[in-house]
Amino acid sequence: MNIVVCLKQILDPEIPARDFKVHSEKREAEQGGANLVTNIFCENALETALQARDAHSGKITALSCGPDGAEDVLRKALALRVDEAILVVNEADSNPDPLFVARTLAAAIRKHGDVDVVLVGREAGDWGAGQTGGLLAEELGLPCISFAESYEPGSTAGTVKVKRQTDAGYEVMEVTTPVVLTITNHDQNVPRIPKTRDVMQSYRKPLEKWPLSDLDIDPATAHDYYQVAELFIPQKEVQCELVEGDTLEAKIEAFAGRIAEVIQSM
Amino acid sequence: MNDPANATREVLWNIHYPWIMYALLVPTTVVAVYGFYRRIRLWRKGSSENRLDQPLKRVGLVLRHAVLQLRTWRRAYPGTFHAMIFWGFVVLFIATVVVMLDYDFGIPIMRGRFYLYFQSLFVDICGMLAIIGILMAGWRRWVVRPPHLIYNAESTAILLVIFTILVSGFLVEGWRIAATDDPWAAWSPFGNLVALGSSRVMSAEAMLAAHRFTWWTHLVLVFGLIAWAPFTKMAHVVNSTLNIYTARLAPVGANLRRLDFEHDEKLGIDALAGFTWKDRLDFDACTECGRCTAVCPANRVGKILSPRDIILDLQHRMHAGGDDTESFVGATPALSSEAMWQCTTCAACVEACPVAIEQFPKIIDTRRYLVMEDAEFPDTMQQALASLETRGHPMRGTSFTRVDWAEGLDVATMADVKESEVLLWVGCGGALVERNQKIVRALAQLLEKAGVKFAILGREEKCTGDPARRIGNEFLFETLVQENVATLDRYGVKKIVTSCPHCFNTLANEYPEWGGRYEVYHHSEFLEKLVAEGKLSGRLPTDRQVTFHDPCYLGRHNGVYDAPRQLVQIATGKAPTEMQQNRSNGFCCGGGGGMSFVDEPPNQRVNQERARQALATGADVVAVGCPFCTTMLEDGINATKGEREVEVMDVAELLWQAVEESSHATSPKPSTP
Repeated sequence: MNIVVCLKQILDPEIPARDFKVHSEKREAEQGGANLVTNIFCENALETALQARDAHSGKITALSCGPDGAEDVLRKALALRVDEAILVVNEADSNPDPLFVARTLAAAIRKHGDVDVVLVGREAGDWGAGQTGGLLAEELGLPCISFAESYEPGSTAGTVKVKRQTDAGYEVMEVTTPVVLTITNHDQNVPRIPKTRDVMQSYRKPLEKWPLSDLDIDPATAHDYYQVAELFIPQKEVQCELVEGDTLEAKIEAFAGRIAEVIQSM
Repeated sequence: MNDPANATREVLWNIHYPWIMYALLVPTTVVAVYGFYRRIRLWRKGSSENRLDQPLKRVGLVLRHAVLQLRTWRRAYPGTFHAMIFWGFVVLFIATVVVMLDYDFGIPIMRGRFYLYFQSLFVDICGMLAIIGILMAGWRRWVVRPPHLIYNAESTAILLVIFTILVSGFLVEGWRIAATDDPWAAWSPFGNLVALGSSRVMSAEAMLAAHRFTWWTHLVLVFGLIAWAPFTKMAHVVNSTLNIYTARLAPVGANLRRLDFEHDEKLGIDALAGFTWKDRLDFDACTECGRCTAVCPANRVGKILSPRDIILDLQHRMHAGGDDTESFVGATPALSSEAMWQCTTCAACVEACPVAIEQFPKIIDTRRYLVMEDAEFPDTMQQALASLETRGHPMRGTSFTRVDWAEGLDVATMADVKESEVLLWVGCGGALVERNQKIVRALAQLLEKAGVKFAILGREEKCTGDPARRIGNEFLFETLVQENVATLDRYGVKKIVTSCPHCFNTLANEYPEWGGRYEVYHHSEFLEKLVAEGKLSGRLPTDRQVTFHDPCYLGRHNGVYDAPRQLVQIATGKAPTEMQQNRSNGFCCGGGGGMSFVDEPPNQRVNQERARQALATGADVVAVGCPFCTTMLEDGINATKGEREVEVMDVAELLWQAVEESSHATSPKPSTP
């Protein structure tokens, strides 16, 4: 089974809140002191792929698109022993919209060749749009199952059985391949850590880099789908007011009156 | 005739065919030599390691620990009887050599006053002391039965054999005295007692026969013991002495070995084949005394970790002669990965070992394998290391940056000032944990008050790598060391002060191997110096009772015990009340070796055990000198203190309070109208 796992590099979402700043003109987050990491749901997707390969064999290709530095997430995937890694290099825009990303990934997957299962994280920890998986399926003309937590070969050849989370519990469905799955986190797909030997060797493994032009993608279309109109960190304000009154009843009276005023003014 | 100058005795009196003795000496020697040869052959299978440098220092170690047995004495009762048995046998051995020189080599030294004072009186007394020593050992082994001893037939047999050797020696002496009517009988008081007693109940013939029989029995037992000893734990007489001679000379804190990532076939150790000859000698040097396990904090709270059994199980494995490349992990409970993940690397085992065995570094070797080759270790430790890798600190989920603690203080960063007399190394435990920020604030204010020009690295500081190294990710450790050394060297840092003993140990003892050579001070030492120079002073007006908890990485790992106590003395006007386990015998807070990133089972928490010990002193303040100890003990104390008001304070906080109090007291009071 040929598995493609799409990985996104994002700013570390676990930096202290007070360190988080946005650039209101560029309408994107400032890197500041934050490091770049692999999006956690992408790591869950990779873990799901690794488990599927451990159990039923197969070949895993890790795929990412982003600036040259996004190589890091692929090296980490190589350290976990994915079979090959491809980076679509896009230095032009560090923050394209999900449709652009989906088109880029779709073009790369087509170029790469046969695929049975494409795994994508359910959403990224930076923007949290959660659209890339669905759009990618659309671009590839494939079925998409969202919020999947695991999959295994189906009852007949050319199908997979997918377990997906719902609000009430879970659903198991069988689907013909190729298929796109968006993977959510689950206690069974907690990312494993690499062996040090594999980390050391990951830097010596081949990693393909394809420029956008190879895929006939025009960087100018990076925001055709939507644009961020405004980006700011909401300011929380706390105002403290003491309600006066001679007796307890008077205080309660004044308190209730003041609440009513505040509600009306909102 | 009775001139003391002529005093002596007849050697081999009443013994026929003494050549049998000489004949027996040959197989005895052959077997004994073979016994040691067998062991040496096993040691030589280990990889190389240089432990033979600085011979004078090493001879000093042997004098202190093998001859004077200073560590054995740390436990009074076993120390006493061990010395009685050891020195008893040493003197008896010398006496036998005297006999040999006199009789076999014809050097007439067993004569006159030397015969009376040494060969008779002194040897008699030493023999009796050794008997009393064996009885004391027997009392402990069969009546008191401490849990950390190993109760097996070999130990019983050894005690019985040496006891019988001594008793038979006195019987032989007594019967000779009685039968020959020895004029110097009074010089052998215990032999003489046997003589006086025997002559009442035994005929002369009976004594002659009994003497002959017992003499041969004594001889066979002695030769038998010599031949058998190398195959038993008695081999420690030789093995342990060698082990002490080849002990590590550096502080305990510097005893983890560097790996060669380019050439090592396996990272870390999971099989005997990975150990050096010194490790293998460690296994053989073990006397089964169990002191390491008795002091192990994890073992004390009921966990399965037992440093003694790690060493002994590896020893048995080495002697069993199986495949040296077969993994030992999980082969026995002591060698299970569960046990390996209970070690706080407190080094109490290393400190307690009378024969210089290095127990916990072997645990780190195994952890290295589990982490780097197997990638199997506790989830929470994985998270700490993952955070270390991505963010340069192990405090996952912290809401603080490295500079938040300094808010409102005028603390410069190296990036601002480019160079500074002193670098304040804040450490992750100080900067990123809210409780501990107060410690660093106190320290920074003290430095400022004393007029020390200092700066911090701020956001450029990264974890020293201590937790990575102790958890076993040497690769990550090296990466962090290289990054930090580059940063420190870029600013030409020479002098570093830190409030974290883990950072202190790593910077002082481990960074030099990667080219990072700095003058590193723990803040307690640095502050003590500032007080001594008159740059800081103050005294708390309260009469609060203070006890001090020794951080393992300050005390045992680096031998700093006095400076923090001195600060308590300065701040409160009196020395801290000591806990029962203090200084080199201090009990870990439970937080070292990456254990502060692990949730211990509620009934097996090391910090609560230490908290109980601290509370037992009746102290109102538990003073510490380590951010990890601070949080571990605060948690422990809060869980165990009940209604009492007990506070955990770093020595810097105590001193800063004292300095502040005093400056308020001396500032002019506003006059009342």
